[in-house]
Amino acid sequence: MSTPQEQNKKTTTDALAPTLSTSDVDLADLDVSLIKRVVMSPSFALSVAIGLFVIFGLTQSPQFANPQAWINILRDATLIAMPAAFACIVLVSGGLDLSVGSVLVAGAMASAAVASAGLGAGTAFLAGTVVGAVIGLINGFFVNFAKIPPIIVTLGSLFAVRAAVVASTGGNPIGPLPDDFTFWGQGDIFGVPIVIMVGLVAVVAAHIVLSQTNYGWSIRAIGGNLIAARSAGIAVRKVSISVYVLSGTAAAFTGVVLAARLGSGSPTFGQGYELQVIAAAVIGGTSIYGAIGTVPGAALGALLLSVLSNGLVLLKIDPTWQNFVIGVVLVAAAGLDVFRRRQMFRVSAKRTAASRKVSS
Amino acid sequence: MTLTTQGTGGQVAEEAPPALEITNAWKSFGHVSALRGVSLTVRGGEVLALVGDNGAGKSTLVKVLSGVYPVDSGNITIAGVPLERADPRLARSRGISTVFQDLAVVETLDIAANVFLGQPLRRFGIFADRKQMISQSAAILRSLKVRVPSVRVAAGELSGGQRQGVAIARAVRQDNPIILMDEPTAALGVRETAQVGEIIRSLREHGKAVILVCHDLEFIFAHADRIQVLRLGQVQGVRDVSATTRTEIVSLITGAIARDVDGEVSE
Repeated sequence: MSTPQEQNKKTTTDALAPTLSTSDVDLADLDVSLIKRVVMSPSFALSVAIGLFVIFGLTQSPQFANPQAWINILRDATLIAMPAAFACIVLVSGGLDLSVGSVLVAGAMASAAVASAGLGAGTAFLAGTVVGAVIGLINGFFVNFAKIPPIIVTLGSLFAVRAAVVASTGGNPIGPLPDDFTFWGQGDIFGVPIVIMVGLVAVVAAHIVLSQTNYGWSIRAIGGNLIAARSAGIAVRKVSISVYVLSGTAAAFTGVVLAARLGSGSPTFGQGYELQVIAAAVIGGTSIYGAIGTVPGAALGALLLSVLSNGLVLLKIDPTWQNFVIGVVLVAAAGLDVFRRRQMFRVSAKRTAASRKVSS
Repeated sequence: MTLTTQGTGGQVAEEAPPALEITNAWKSFGHVSALRGVSLTVRGGEVLALVGDNGAGKSTLVKVLSGVYPVDSGNITIAGVPLERADPRLARSRGISTVFQDLAVVETLDIAANVFLGQPLRRFGIFADRKQMISQSAAILRSLKVRVPSVRVAAGELSGGQRQGVAIARAVRQDNPIILMDEPTAALGVRETAQVGEIIRSLREHGKAVILVCHDLEFIFAHADRIQVLRLGQVQGVRDVSATTRTEIVSLITGAIARDVDGEVSE
């Protein structure tokens, strides 16, 4: 007679492990749910909205068919989409990074200083980016160890970092910058600006990290239920700090690219940028309650902002109305998120928000 | 000193060590003695219910077993091997999976992600092996007879019973021989309670040792093999379900029936 332990092991393997070999997913069922998920997704709605706006634009102004106009639109979109992709990741983790604009200017000025000192484009890019990573690390540290709410920590660095940049540069721009550096912001390859290609790579990388890696699933887990994630053994603090580092790095890198594009760094770069970046993420379906959001959505949100701001100019509409339109779209997107949560879960968004407050 | 039933203890203990054994555990918090010499034994394929009034020491015992609290004195052995220190991860890796009362599912993630929460399957080191996680979690839930529309449904869409099923599936996936359930039916309706009962039955069929901390005597009589009654930090008595009545258990809980004499009473 075998021991209870042996029996135990054997029956367990018999009953639970055949799973290893069999594929139990109903494929037909999956296809239907995939189509449903795509059509229901904010990215789909956003694509339709952008499409409709462009079609309307085409009927009003031939400028909408001009490739150069589209290159401008895409380049502007890229500069929002890069930080927005990582702002989306921070939001999904249940955090918030308001320091984007200030980190952007810190990255721009650091790289401009290094480039104008003649240390080479590579060093300049590295210096600017590292500054952003360090600020992100500080943000993440205060959020996770001092337990200060992220909105306050990053609002603090929004003020402090910009002040430090202005003080250390005397408020003066740095430039003109050497050609090997500005090439990365102004150059084309086969007629496509390098900026757009670089931005595309950054966005795709962010998307893969969030949607395909176990790290990305951990980010979504801590944003969804911090306590559950911790008790399941996820290194909650490590993950949370890392998303602030990523966000800081991306914002600073965007600043470096901006300095390269404009050929000089100015301490006025990026003022109010964080609001556009967060707006892009939220318009793209990222939930400010955490856990829900996609990088392609955030990128489409950035594209919408860029299409609107450029498009309204092409349509000769008073640019003052731009921000009005953006404000309306933003609130509508957030409203859609609340509605979707209500539909999706028995727990309402309100209760989720309340429990998140308790848990953080 | 072991607490056994109907005198089979000595021989069985020689053949195979119990899945889990606690001997003479003491634990106090300041002046309050939460556990005063508690012993407990559970074997594979057995469901042991722990009952007792508030303050009897149930929650302390659960926390000791899941590795949250260290004992002041006493031994915990898992399949004959002593557990040297209190550490939830150590307890888990040694064979005790705990299903906590607050379920601990992430509502925004789908069922598959919840079943593998914190211990995902990997592809190329960093990527999530979703295909495997989906098919394995589907199979585990099926073997537990938990019905869900699809494992790609968000946990937030599930009923309380289904969520409990997901939480249990996570414990089952760890493939540990001992499963500790803290009030698994506390927040559930009648149908969902029955569903959890089904799961417990299926765990027992799979040879798991199940420790069930529960208030619901009807549920316990339907699903447990033995009932261990705690009172004021001591074991008031252990009864086979087949050889006892609710009245007797209630009397043990309230202290109307005197403590089984198997150790000296303190003080």
